[in-house]
Amino acid sequence: MMGTRAMRARTNGEGGGARHWPLHIFLIFMLVVTIYPILWVVTIAFSGGQSLAIADVPANAGFFDRLRAIVPWPAHISLSNFHSLFADQPFARWLLNSAIVAGATTVLGVFLACTAAYAFSRFRFPGRRAGLMSFLVSQMFPGTLMLIPLYIIVVQWLGLGSTFAGIILPYATTAIPFCVWMMKGYFDTIPKELEESALIDGASQATIFLRIILPLAKPAVAVTALFSFMTGWNEFIVAATFINKEEMYTAPVGLRFFVGGFSQQWGYFAAGSIIAAIPVVILFLFLQKYLVSGLTAGAVKG
Amino acid sequence: MADSSSRPPADLRRRFLIGLAVALLAGVGIGLALLTRARTTELNFRRQREAVVTLRALTDLVERAGGGTAAPAPAPAPAEQDSTTAGGGGMGMGLGQELAAVESGAAAQTAADPGAAVRTAVERFAAAHPGTKSVRVVTFEGLLLEASTAAADTGAKAAPRKLERDEKPLYDLGQKLRAAVSENRENTAQGQAAVGEELALQRLSDGSLLLAGPVEHRTSDGSDVVGMIQIHTAAPPVTSALATPWGPALLAWLVPVILFFLLSLALGQRRALLAAVASILLLAALAGFGRYALRALEEGRRETGKALAAYMTDEAAKTSSLLAELPAAGLPNATPLDASRWDADLFRHPRGLVTAAGTVDEKGLDAEIHGDAVRLHRSIILLALLSLVLLAFVGFGGAARVGHDLVEYRQAYSYTMPAMIAMLLLVFFPFFYGVALSFTNDNIYNSSKPITEIWVGLSNFKDILSDLSIFHRSATGAIDYHNFYWTLGFTIVWTISNIAIGVTLGLILALVLNIKGLAFRAWYRVLLILPWAMPNYITSLIFKGMFHQQFGVINQIRQMVGLAPIAWFDGPFTSFLAVLTTNGWLSFPFMMVVSLGALQSIPADLYEAARVDGATRWQQFRSITLPSLKPALVPAVILSVIWTFNQFNVIYLVSAGEPSGATEILITQSYKLAFEQYRYGYAAAYSMIIFLILLVYGTWQNRVTKATEGV
Repeated sequence: MMGTRAMRARTNGEGGGARHWPLHIFLIFMLVVTIYPILWVVTIAFSGGQSLAIADVPANAGFFDRLRAIVPWPAHISLSNFHSLFADQPFARWLLNSAIVAGATTVLGVFLACTAAYAFSRFRFPGRRAGLMSFLVSQMFPGTLMLIPLYIIVVQWLGLGSTFAGIILPYATTAIPFCVWMMKGYFDTIPKELEESALIDGASQATIFLRIILPLAKPAVAVTALFSFMTGWNEFIVAATFINKEEMYTAPVGLRFFVGGFSQQWGYFAAGSIIAAIPVVILFLFLQKYLVSGLTAGAVKG
Repeated sequence: MADSSSRPPADLRRRFLIGLAVALLAGVGIGLALLTRARTTELNFRRQREAVVTLRALTDLVERAGGGTAAPAPAPAPAEQDSTTAGGGGMGMGLGQELAAVESGAAAQTAADPGAAVRTAVERFAAAHPGTKSVRVVTFEGLLLEASTAAADTGAKAAPRKLERDEKPLYDLGQKLRAAVSENRENTAQGQAAVGEELALQRLSDGSLLLAGPVEHRTSDGSDVVGMIQIHTAAPPVTSALATPWGPALLAWLVPVILFFLLSLALGQRRALLAAVASILLLAALAGFGRYALRALEEGRRETGKALAAYMTDEAAKTSSLLAELPAAGLPNATPLDASRWDADLFRHPRGLVTAAGTVDEKGLDAEIHGDAVRLHRSIILLALLSLVLLAFVGFGGAARVGHDLVEYRQAYSYTMPAMIAMLLLVFFPFFYGVALSFTNDNIYNSSKPITEIWVGLSNFKDILSDLSIFHRSATGAIDYHNFYWTLGFTIVWTISNIAIGVTLGLILALVLNIKGLAFRAWYRVLLILPWAMPNYITSLIFKGMFHQQFGVINQIRQMVGLAPIAWFDGPFTSFLAVLTTNGWLSFPFMMVVSLGALQSIPADLYEAARVDGATRWQQFRSITLPSLKPALVPAVILSVIWTFNQFNVIYLVSAGEPSGATEILITQSYKLAFEQYRYGYAAAYSMIIFLILLVYGTWQNRVTKATEGV
């Protein structure tokens, strides 16, 4: 590190940051491009109206009228979109549905993934390799390939259309392989000696798993749980296909409902998007470094 | 598994005996279930056909009694009356006859109670049909319940009266049938197949049928649906349910098992011989059971044919006599009743299995029986394969080994069991079911049929892959955007351009952000990651709004600098630009983060050493930076390719394939085939092709990754 700084000091001279201004211009341009759609949503959300235009543009608009129409600042600031989202629209119900679905997906997914990953990490048994490989291969099945048979099985055969179970089960199972591989990687790093000594002390295998391994693997369990939650919270297409009752919509399907087809309620959409996105954006920023390492380590999800 | 050799030699005879018993149990058991189901279906189908015949006979009667034309308004205009009662065969009638018909019809209509004839007809019809619980006739004009024999429609609610609010479904059903009739008529005129069912059939829980059909009013220039008849048949007696043929099934199971036991005493412990004998017995038993099943099915078909012919003759006689008795004699009765048209499918196409003379059409029946035989053979072959696999599994010790392993490693299996069961049921089974579906023509109309009946082999794949005519056959332009190869090409272009944008932008940003001493680095980094953190369905909908032709900010910017606004989703290229922008926006941060991570792990000494050796900046970049990025970038690119290839949300929510499917990628196209056109089988084949493409790509990338690791 010392060497680097010395090198930088030599090449940049004493001017330091001042010489980076072209880079800053580039970065600020990129930032504008990046942030603009987000600011746009915030603007529409606080505009108090349903229009997707930021400002009314007169018929023979001049340059500044046009400029006004793209500056992400609402003409009037109003919370009415947020208010009527909960008062007049069933958005609270949709958020609750999403929370139930994502929560149950997390609990079920983590339970299934922890137990299986523990066995794959600790036991040697016939079918272990085949099981692990089959999990990996299943990640290559494209979503819609699974969607058609799943729809026929879950909705037409089991009659679980428009129910929580009908989407929780597919969510939890499709998340299993990724979670298993991630958890297994973590379990592999926990030294076996811990369990061996516990065995000598007379602990049962279940006790070891519940009392020793799981507490040690808390970070991995937490990360797995948060990923499962985010998957369930953000999933759109399965929910949109399996659910056709308005009161059972999840938040993504509900938000699409506001602006899909001939519906043009951009104010509700924008306000709802902010509410639905904030928790996952924060979670994501927090988890992002695990995600990169987990993904590039080999788990491939289409 | 190592200890399997140390186990005592197994008793082969016993193993194969058990194997044969289990395999036969499965084969014959499933066969028995299939046969029972087929026969029950046949019986239900016979009842349905009888009900259809009844309905159609009644419809003919009611149409001739002027059903559906009883306008509630006191004085219908004379011109309207002309068209209301001109009878069906205007073409064939002489002028005088036609005039007479018009006059008599007008006379009937202007009578005090125009629906009286219909009501009388319905009442007498119901009295003559004890198998029909109730009949209701609905007239669309004036939302009228014209006649009814239902128990609920007596007293104050007796017909004729207006339909009540809670009876709206009845009216809606009628309108649905009317729409289906007119749509089918249009389609047939254009030489296309009929799509909407013209009869509505509902099976109630007690086995009775609720059947509804349109009442048409024929004029000289075609006909119009003016009402609906609904009949409710009586529940079939419980005793009429078919008995399951336990006897033959038990025979097919027991005889081979006993035979094998006796034979095995003579054969000794010779594995190959035992296996051969067991397989032969198994196949023979299944073949025998198959012959029995075929005969049972054939018998059922012939019986149905006979019963139906008798029923129709009876029905024709009853209806003609009722028609003759109608009080308003002289109603236009131009077309004679054609009873052979009554036995129709739900599109009201005559099945043609019963001739006009009231006898069974033997040729048609034989064709049906032949169809049964073909399907049965298919099922038996599948069953035989399944049973043979089971036999081999048990006979050659597979089952014993699996059982042993399950006990030996029960701890490991109990931990993996929940996840494995879930995966089997909701991932692997659906996958293989999807593969099977891709060989069928499953669609919304035949979804409930067993897979063997809708099996079409490779024809879906052939249809998709052999259609090379990208440049014609389109109604909208020169290019057929629904052609598989157009979509494939578009998907590839889409994937490559996205990866190019993502890698370029991500790499440049990473290089910039990696400069030590750059102010606000951490801030830039966090803000630039935001697009990745946003749920992509929200991003997609935002961009859809921003690309809006009239109010979208992108067109505002264009107008600000003096350009004309663009209808982004009206042209393939601009639509492509829109989705590309959206996906570029949400995908560059991933590449940036990956590259940045890799850049930060390059030891600084390397650059220092290079500098000492006099390398230029470009040389440093080429020989240090790029090679160090490779191990991180290659998996990231591979991953992005799969993501982008399958980027459903962006395409589906931003462009939705507009214009007319030009910007559809494979995955959205297959979704639309399945869930907008309801062609499940075809869509499954489409998805299979996508899967195979990904599989080829996966194996190829595996080799490439291995190669890069070797470097």
